[in-house]
Amino acid sequence: MNTLLKIENLHASVADKEILRGIDLEIKAGETHAIMGPNGSGKSTLSAVLAGRETFTVTEGSIIYDGRDLLAMAPEERSWAGIFLGFQYPVEIPGVSNVNFMKAAVNEQRKQRGLEPLGAAQFLKLMREKMSYVEMDSSFSGRGVNVGFSGGEKKRNEIFQMAMLEPRLAILDETDSGLDVDALRIVATGVNKMKRPDNAFIVITHYQRLLDYIVPDVIHVLYKGRIIKTAGKELALEIEKNGYDRLIHENE
Amino acid sequence: MKMNNLIYAPALKQEFRCRVPLRDARQLFLVDGSVQGAGSPLAFRLEDGEQMDKMLQIIGVRSEGGPQELEFEDTFHFGKGSSGKIIQCAHTFSLDLFKTREKVRITLEEGAAAEFVVMQNEHNRAVHETSYDISLAAGAELKMVFLSLHGGEILNRIDVSLDGENASCELGGLYLTDGDQRMDYDIRLTHNVPSCRSNQLFKGILDDRGKAHFDGLIKVVPDAQKSEAYQANHNLLISSEAKAYTKPQLEIYADDVKCSHGATIGRLNPDELFYMRTRGIPMAEAKLLQQMAFAYEVLEKISSDQLRERMQVLVEKRLRGEFSRCQNCSKNCC
Repeated sequence: MNTLLKIENLHASVADKEILRGIDLEIKAGETHAIMGPNGSGKSTLSAVLAGRETFTVTEGSIIYDGRDLLAMAPEERSWAGIFLGFQYPVEIPGVSNVNFMKAAVNEQRKQRGLEPLGAAQFLKLMREKMSYVEMDSSFSGRGVNVGFSGGEKKRNEIFQMAMLEPRLAILDETDSGLDVDALRIVATGVNKMKRPDNAFIVITHYQRLLDYIVPDVIHVLYKGRIIKTAGKELALEIEKNGYDRLIHENE
Repeated sequence: MKMNNLIYAPALKQEFRCRVPLRDARQLFLVDGSVQGAGSPLAFRLEDGEQMDKMLQIIGVRSEGGPQELEFEDTFHFGKGSSGKIIQCAHTFSLDLFKTREKVRITLEEGAAAEFVVMQNEHNRAVHETSYDISLAAGAELKMVFLSLHGGEILNRIDVSLDGENASCELGGLYLTDGDQRMDYDIRLTHNVPSCRSNQLFKGILDDRGKAHFDGLIKVVPDAQKSEAYQANHNLLISSEAKAYTKPQLEIYADDVKCSHGATIGRLNPDELFYMRTRGIPMAEAKLLQQMAFAYEVLEKISSDQLRERMQVLVEKRLRGEFSRCQNCSKNCC
């Protein structure tokens, strides 16, 4: 299988505070990796660095995505190359409707691939189809991006956007936080529908719960900016039972 | 002058015309301050109870070879219970150094309802000062949306008197500056009697070395109880050299009122920009989307869908750095 993402010795800091302290991670097409870990271990930092957030400075190491130096690419270039970040806290953009936002995004992606922009009818058809993935009501399309959405609606909107953009590598940052059981099932079903042999997922979560629905091939435990354990999906159950303490102690 | 006496197809039509006029709109040209075809100043009048069936679009132009300095006056009178919609725009047809001083008097009699959309779109060497003197009688309703899209110096003085109970006045304004443009709004809104409502929303987007001054005073006189008056002014600075000055003021002499005002000067939101970029929207486009969203709050006050959409296109072009040229215009000078 092809390696889609290769992270080597990644160090990143914010305001001189080192948060990632040597991450190594390899993801192949067709795989789903879960990243777990206690609060403050660096999970969200890792996802932000992958998406190109400029508030974090990479001080050491490399990220090769699909044979390209990811760190040299702007956030929009990463998106064009197929990277998608599902935000833990999706941003509200008052005044920009979901439909205009998605139209700008989808047509830019098409432009980058040398395709014509979608016509209004085609675009709406695509919107409707993908909204049904996450059981989103069509009334959301006219509303401002995430404005007045509940926590669950925001997360569904993230998955909807992912479905629209069809990324090759999707990073879902605590997509399960703030979701009730029904919303969790909807979100997970949406993700599972998009799994293909040529794409990959990184699922960041605190809880084993989500991993009952989105079954990972590999689980990594992040602690203090390093991966302290990598194992199969059974690791989630062990963490659910014993917490992170035992793993942390084994490492210290 | 009655509506029906106005000349809607002036000789200028050959030279300047709208290829796709707004549906349900009549056009009237005001060339260098006088009504084309009539040669007189604009004196618009609706009689008591008269309802305008179509919008009146007043296209004001400064023509080539016309006087460089010009002063004129327009009056709009809405009789009791009458209603109408006016679009007024100001353009410059040549790159002459124009200086225009305009007085606009708007009177709404009891129960009259009027909506104005004022679009100012002149070149960088033009100076345009307009003084609006507005009075509303009991139960009258006025809505005015100002779009200052382009111009060397634009100064709008707006003086509103709410003179009859239950009058209501809504003012919206959007000003966009770049280069060395300057746009000023100087507003005096007075609640002279009880139970009137006023609402003001003015927003500016300032780029390059553009400047804007907003000076807004709401005054509520001692007997004007149950007044409701709101004012907001928000400015978005795109460049580091753009400057916005804002001075919202409330003078309240009555004790049973609801009034508020607020002013902000800010920059584009980096979290929103990053979010959009992760979806593949390039930086420049993300910035534009954010500015359009900022502007939309003013544009959405325009009640005609067709006019609002057209104005939205002009604003978008303007924010892309183009002169706001309407694609429906045969003349590409402005």
